[in-house]
Amino acid sequence: MKNNRFKLILIAVVAMVSVWSIWPTWRDHALSEKLKSFRSSEDSLKFAIDNREAIEHAKDKSLKLGLDLRGGMHLVMEVDILDLVEQKAWNKDATFTRVMESVKSQAATESNVNIVELVAAGFKKENIKLSRYFYDMRDSDQDIVNKLNAESKDALTRAKEIIRNRIDQYGVAEPVIQTQGSQRLIIELSGVTDEARVRKLLMGTAKLEFRLVKDPQATLRAVQSISGVSLAAPVAPAPTESVAPSDSAKAAAPVVAAPSPATAPAPAAAGIKKLSDVIGMLPNGVVFAPAYARDQVTAVLDRPDVQALLPQDTQLLLAAKPELAANGEKYFPIYLVKKTPELTGGVITEAKATFSAQDNQPEVLMSMNDEGTSKWARITGANIGKQVAIVLDGAIYSAPVVQSRIPSGNSVINGIGDLNEAKDLEIILKAGALPAPVHILEERTVGPSLGSDYIRAGMLSMMWGFVAVAIFMVIYYNKAGIAADLALVLNILVVISVLAGFGASLSLPGIAGIVLTMGMAVDANVLIYERIREELAEGKSLRMAVDTGYKRAFSSILDSHVTTLAAAFLLYVYGVGPVQGFAITLMIGTGASLFTAVVVTRVLFDLLIDSKFMDEKSFG
Amino acid sequence: MRIFHKTNFNFIKHRKIAYAVSTILLVVGMASLFVRGLNYGIDFKGGAEVVIRFDKAVDVGDVRSIMEQAGVNGSVKQYGLDRSLLLKTDYQGDTTRLKALITNALSSRLPGNPSQILSIQAVGPSIAADMKMSAIKALAAALAGILLYVSVRFEFKFATAGVAAIFHDVLTVLGLFSLLGGLIDFMPLEVDQSIIAAFLTIAGYSITDTVVVYDRIRERLRGQKPSDYERIFNESMNQTLSRTVITSGTIMISVIVLFIFAGPAIRSFAFAMFAGILVGTYSSIFVAAPIVFDWQTRSKSPIKFRGA
Repeated sequence: MKNNRFKLILIAVVAMVSVWSIWPTWRDHALSEKLKSFRSSEDSLKFAIDNREAIEHAKDKSLKLGLDLRGGMHLVMEVDILDLVEQKAWNKDATFTRVMESVKSQAATESNVNIVELVAAGFKKENIKLSRYFYDMRDSDQDIVNKLNAESKDALTRAKEIIRNRIDQYGVAEPVIQTQGSQRLIIELSGVTDEARVRKLLMGTAKLEFRLVKDPQATLRAVQSISGVSLAAPVAPAPTESVAPSDSAKAAAPVVAAPSPATAPAPAAAGIKKLSDVIGMLPNGVVFAPAYARDQVTAVLDRPDVQALLPQDTQLLLAAKPELAANGEKYFPIYLVKKTPELTGGVITEAKATFSAQDNQPEVLMSMNDEGTSKWARITGANIGKQVAIVLDGAIYSAPVVQSRIPSGNSVINGIGDLNEAKDLEIILKAGALPAPVHILEERTVGPSLGSDYIRAGMLSMMWGFVAVAIFMVIYYNKAGIAADLALVLNILVVISVLAGFGASLSLPGIAGIVLTMGMAVDANVLIYERIREELAEGKSLRMAVDTGYKRAFSSILDSHVTTLAAAFLLYVYGVGPVQGFAITLMIGTGASLFTAVVVTRVLFDLLIDSKFMDEKSFG
Repeated sequence: MRIFHKTNFNFIKHRKIAYAVSTILLVVGMASLFVRGLNYGIDFKGGAEVVIRFDKAVDVGDVRSIMEQAGVNGSVKQYGLDRSLLLKTDYQGDTTRLKALITNALSSRLPGNPSQILSIQAVGPSIAADMKMSAIKALAAALAGILLYVSVRFEFKFATAGVAAIFHDVLTVLGLFSLLGGLIDFMPLEVDQSIIAAFLTIAGYSITDTVVVYDRIRERLRGQKPSDYERIFNESMNQTLSRTVITSGTIMISVIVLFIFAGPAIRSFAFAMFAGILVGTYSSIFVAAPIVFDWQTRSKSPIKFRGA
């Protein structure tokens, strides 16, 4: 039979390609088992070095496991385009703020919309030309929308690059970073142990600014001008539960100087507290907030109505790290700084985390480009004896007094908690600042121990699924069942090898898809066998019955495979993450089963009937 | 081995009973959908799920009250694994803080029983809304696609009845999820992405059994008198009964294996598949074919068979 020879060759090729594709996975497994088997770590290290190439090759080509199986983080992040638009605007006024607020609330309810279009529509509703706030006066609305769209597209690409840089420098194997839609990034990191640190690293905007600190008298006057504002925001009341009892506020006062009357906290009986109740002022111009009230004070200082009370072009900022008073209480110094920065982090070219020579505390050394260096020299030269605050993401890390003009373009950030934080800061500063803040929309973290539980569960279900289906087929269809089982083995081989060959990863839903495919793959055989039984019952010869059985059952088999493929395809298109893994294995499995059931078992029958292994009774 | 050998059930005669059963299933399911709604998972609702494993056995009630006092609102349930609990909360925001809240509360209140957070899943509201939209799109596209395919492959009446059967199957399972959602402790039956995957698979698979029955009816109906239709329908359905049940049976084996072995993350999915295949098999015999029969006997125009 010529036809069969071709089919046999085809089957052999498919089987060989499958085994060839799965081989590295098996090899990888065997090698890591071998590595584990050594008693001393020297032996295993020696083995690892001797076989480095083989191990790496196997690892590279082996079937990848999904994040849920090996442990890791899956994140969906959004670049805050609204913030970017706000950055681009100039001469912002009350109307601008109002329109932006309404756009913001609109954007929160409608998901995944084009923010730029929303902003444009918002201003159009108010009959305001966009050119009043954006770009050039002569630009038409459409020009500005186009420009802003281009900016936001660029922001997404840049954010992706910057985040990739940060992850690469932090050191995660095979990170996956993709853009999704107009403002989202999908990030997959495997084997991350310290998620909190990674999260911070990814989200850190690292907006570095050098700002002039105002003198103590101005600071005191400014604080007094806002000390009467209430802690509760005018619209949404701030949570007051977190406020500690008032006596601890008293204790928080540093003992170096007697607290001024303003420090004495008023009893909380009134319910709504004033700012002066939680911040302390010393006559020498030192203003501070106790650690427990830090979030509240930051929130109050961020409010536009409070900022309006301060002198022109100034801002009150808290220190990033608390200082320890003699009695052990922590408090955060507050500084009055110029709102316009003298210099920003854009000029930083190099950063290095290290320990300070003086007090052995972690710090980050930075150097600047030419433009930054000359500006920095001018700024330091003009402000000798004054304080310059180093502000990172809105918090003051240090405010050293300028001793002399600095011509080298070097600066340093200190007041950093530990070396890890300093290292992360180094990474972020080197990778550059994100063009706009990013928010985490979705996070799925699976620890490695849960992952190995899932692997065990997945393996168990694959094994039992195969055993149960295979045994059932043999019981119900006798020798023909064996042919179906052989086809099933090939089917599973094909699914796994396609996954491994195309570098797709296997997740728990993917394993579920494989198990489900086992039940579906034999369906085609069931349809054929039932038909053959019917033909045999009509008294046809075995070969005739097999021929007609395959021919007649084909239409139903095709229909069922096409509909299942269609459903799986749509699931892949519209689903995200885990569900896509299921859809992929279902698609491969369904496609493979069309081949194994229609071609493979057919050839097997021809061979088996020729060799007299099967007769009329072999279909049960 | 044969389970159904030369059966002779009169399916067409008793179709009214099947119609009644299906109507009750659908009405109860729809009523529950309107009254109870669906128990959405965090994929579609937003919120966070945390799996915590303890070193020693722990009382769910204790952990629940500890969490309440820590200000983490939500439900605490046994997770299918050993000594593990699933905490579900509508907490939105920084997971670092959530994690700190949980670990601090547990380590201070249960010092003798160290615990470990195995996994955290947090989904923000905007992305949850997106996922819901995608799920609806996928379902709608799948149904439309299958309708298109079946109407190309089959005559109009067959195609319409087949798609009606798919709707019947998906809606029944949806109704079941609404009825039982949150009632069973080891299986929350929340509607999330994996359940949508189950629905799509059910929709794709539901037509499989139907096609098998249809193929036989078509084959035998050609050139027959309408007065013989009832006999032919019955005979066809009896002849295909075995393969309809066996094909579903092999998938049932897979699904049951998944339900038992694949762990808590897959359990609701396996349950949906189980119910869907059961209803799907029933509907191909008792819903799809009888609708075609009723339609055919009532309409004056005979079925126009395509091709050879």
